[in-house]
Amino acid sequence: METKIGVFICNCSGTLNNIDFDAVVKKVVELPGVTSIKFISPLCLEEGKKKMLSCIREENIEKVVVAACSPEFKEHVFREVLENAGLNGHLFSMANIKEQCSWVHEGDVTGKVVELIKMAVSRTRLLQPVKMNNFSVNREVLVVGGGFEAINAALQLSRAGLRTTLLEREAVLGTGTTELENLCGFDINAMVMEVKGDENIEILAPAEVIETSGKIGDFNVRIRKGGEEISRKYGALVIATGYQTKLALESKLKSDVNIVSQEKLCHMLEDPELRIRPRTIGFMLDFADENSRLPTLATLNNALAAKRKWGSEVYVFCKNVKVDSERIERLYQEARDCGVMFLKSDVSPKVAAENGKIKIEAKDIFLGEDINLTCDVLVAEECLLPAEETEALSSILNIRRDSRGFYQDENVHLYPVASEKKGIFFIGGCRGNLDLSRVLTDVSSVVVSIYKLLSSGNILAEVERVKVDPQKCVACLTCIRICPHNAIQLVRVDGGKEVAEICDLACEACGICAAMCPAKAITFQGYRDEEILAQVETIGES
Amino acid sequence: MIIAERKPMDEIKRMLAPYKKVLVAGCGTCVTVCWAGGEKEVAILASQLRLARSAEHNEISIFEASVERQCEREMVAEIKDKVTEVEAVISLACGAGVQTMSEMFEDKPVFPGVNTTFIGMPEKEGLWVEMCGACGDCFLDRTGGICPIVRCAKGLLNGPCGGTRKGGKCEIDPDKDCAWVLIYRRLEKQGRLDLMRNYYAPKNYRAVKRPGRIQAAKA
Amino acid sequence: MNNCIVAFCCEHSAYPAADLAGKLKLHYPENLRIIRVPCAGRVDLIHILKAFEKGAAAVMVMGCEGGACHHMTGNTRAKERVKYCNLLLREIEADGRLVAMFNLSPNAPHKFVGAVNEITKRIKESGR
Repeated sequence: METKIGVFICNCSGTLNNIDFDAVVKKVVELPGVTSIKFISPLCLEEGKKKMLSCIREENIEKVVVAACSPEFKEHVFREVLENAGLNGHLFSMANIKEQCSWVHEGDVTGKVVELIKMAVSRTRLLQPVKMNNFSVNREVLVVGGGFEAINAALQLSRAGLRTTLLEREAVLGTGTTELENLCGFDINAMVMEVKGDENIEILAPAEVIETSGKIGDFNVRIRKGGEEISRKYGALVIATGYQTKLALESKLKSDVNIVSQEKLCHMLEDPELRIRPRTIGFMLDFADENSRLPTLATLNNALAAKRKWGSEVYVFCKNVKVDSERIERLYQEARDCGVMFLKSDVSPKVAAENGKIKIEAKDIFLGEDINLTCDVLVAEECLLPAEETEALSSILNIRRDSRGFYQDENVHLYPVASEKKGIFFIGGCRGNLDLSRVLTDVSSVVVSIYKLLSSGNILAEVERVKVDPQKCVACLTCIRICPHNAIQLVRVDGGKEVAEICDLACEACGICAAMCPAKAITFQGYRDEEILAQVETIGES
Repeated sequence: MIIAERKPMDEIKRMLAPYKKVLVAGCGTCVTVCWAGGEKEVAILASQLRLARSAEHNEISIFEASVERQCEREMVAEIKDKVTEVEAVISLACGAGVQTMSEMFEDKPVFPGVNTTFIGMPEKEGLWVEMCGACGDCFLDRTGGICPIVRCAKGLLNGPCGGTRKGGKCEIDPDKDCAWVLIYRRLEKQGRLDLMRNYYAPKNYRAVKRPGRIQAAKA
Repeated sequence: MNNCIVAFCCEHSAYPAADLAGKLKLHYPENLRIIRVPCAGRVDLIHILKAFEKGAAAVMVMGCEGGACHHMTGNTRAKERVKYCNLLLREIEADGRLVAMFNLSPNAPHKFVGAVNEITKRIKESGR
């Protein structure tokens, strides 16, 4: 028996005035399966929705087509009406006769409107229901790392009511924090004390992650601690393994005592027994690594300190000074007012050690001249690299890294703290995000995301929206390898056969697997081949 | 598994030129996995042929079918009805499948739509490489699991030819790795380099009589 | 098919761009038929070929810009598939230029209209 399809047409409060709706209705009523056509405008407001609801109930409509505006705006509104009428919300299509028809063509568009409705009806005939289910999830979170961002994340997660494990490679928390961060003025020791005193936070240190498996809400993690291996379960994983710095220096200059790191200069500034104050200090800022916000902050702080404490002449050699971060613009202004000189070059300056001093040769692009400078001390440029264990951990987690070796964001614009695997997040230094205020934003974003996902102990998700048919699956592993969300795994079914299985919680319904599957074993409800082809084949039939 | 590649279009068109009703038959095993002759490729070829013949004003009726394994008579029998309807069949299975179909439907011409190329595996997505030459006398135990018969351009059995290029590449094809360098490194990892000192007499390429025939002893 | 242009539009880029074109009352040829897909990477070869079989004048596959695919690799896969489709069409001596991939952002209605006009030009040039 043909399913009963109800077609609801709206003219968006009279704004679609190049359509002959009577003619449309006459044509649509002839379509097989269409048992009801109603013209209701406006359809999306309370009155219209009520009429739609009663019509569905009274006429025993089983599937619905709405011809009106774009589904981008109103799909969820009409799906709710279907649910209220006792129908599955997926048994629904929209024909966009407004933004993509009436409003973009001159003259009468009745013919195209009829065709768009026909396309929607032919798709709707084939639609299958998709159920929702509450999947129960583990509410505990693992934070890997022991630095500023890791500690911050653990504290915030605990405040949000989620039990957290803080897992650190070293025996002591907070050791990874470099002088660069200390220059930003927060008390890491106080934070470590707070974490130790928090009942909701478990500290595993020294420890390391050996293996992970599972999915969001249900990760299995094997940990090595003190020679023992333990297995734990977590709902989400937060990676906060930080970064390391490397001085960008030619090897022959590395041992020169007058070329120092920012940290060394800090020590010198604080050393009460320093015998000789450097009279001229040079800073190299960002020639090797453009990722310079943190070094810029350190440079400005140190430059100002050197000026104020020692009265030295201070020169900063840079390509750019990136001031788009909290406090930096103000510091830069202060530094300039204080007399710190900034020399901008396109090319890396030449550095040589001579007679116990450092000679720098640079071409300033504003002056257009070569500058030759002799400094007592040169503070070398520091390159920021992912922490040592990043590569190993990324293969344990099966997560991609970007071209610099830092963890790769799922979508740089939309989900910067999420990895491509739902439930695994990264924050701070290990993302290459080395600006403290942005790190704090990372932490807040992650805590909010995890709270939203796990706090109720359940995640509501669609069941088998995209499904692998185990009978047709030839286990070629194509979908498993290409899923951009890492949502497909190889599992053993009854009979011992190995097939691919899609995890409902991690699936983002993109359909890439459905297109790639060489055995056509994957069905994607709403966008199955037959549902797409039904629309293609309806075009131009009239 | 068996790797195959679709034949050039002009060859296929030439084979089907005299016919107006044709069945395109795919196979659900090896050629599905290597994207040469599965259900999807059947649909694509059918579509192309319809478009091509329509443009030539020489319409053709194309039917589509797929058999789980075209080298099994019982499975091929399942599409019997479709075969009786047509004048000719073009099979996208490997040579074994084409011949099984031919045998089952002796009165219908069955054409090969793919070239069966080698036994291999996917090196990475969409890239299949030859691994095994089906010589019938496997000696992978002595070469650390790397076959010099197919992976060495000269098929040498006793070490590299001496022409290996820098980076361990083959003298004849600089894009290929020298198989014997790979074998050396593998045996080194396994602590079995002493195997490289053994001399292996020329291979008996008639180990497999053609056509091969194996009777399993077990009932 | 009355020489329609079939445009597979990704719901994260081209579909909202088309909506925006509507809001701005930009105009483009009436023979465009948009089919919404969750990602350009969902579009398969058979969808494109069937469109031609049914008489489409041209087929457009429209997805997100460069590195901005909502699902990371969908737009790249779509591009590769369209390239392969060009080949499949040229194999049977059809005009490969009549199937094309376009990349745009959801806030680029003029780029959307530009793409439709470009394809319309190609149809004229191929003499259909």
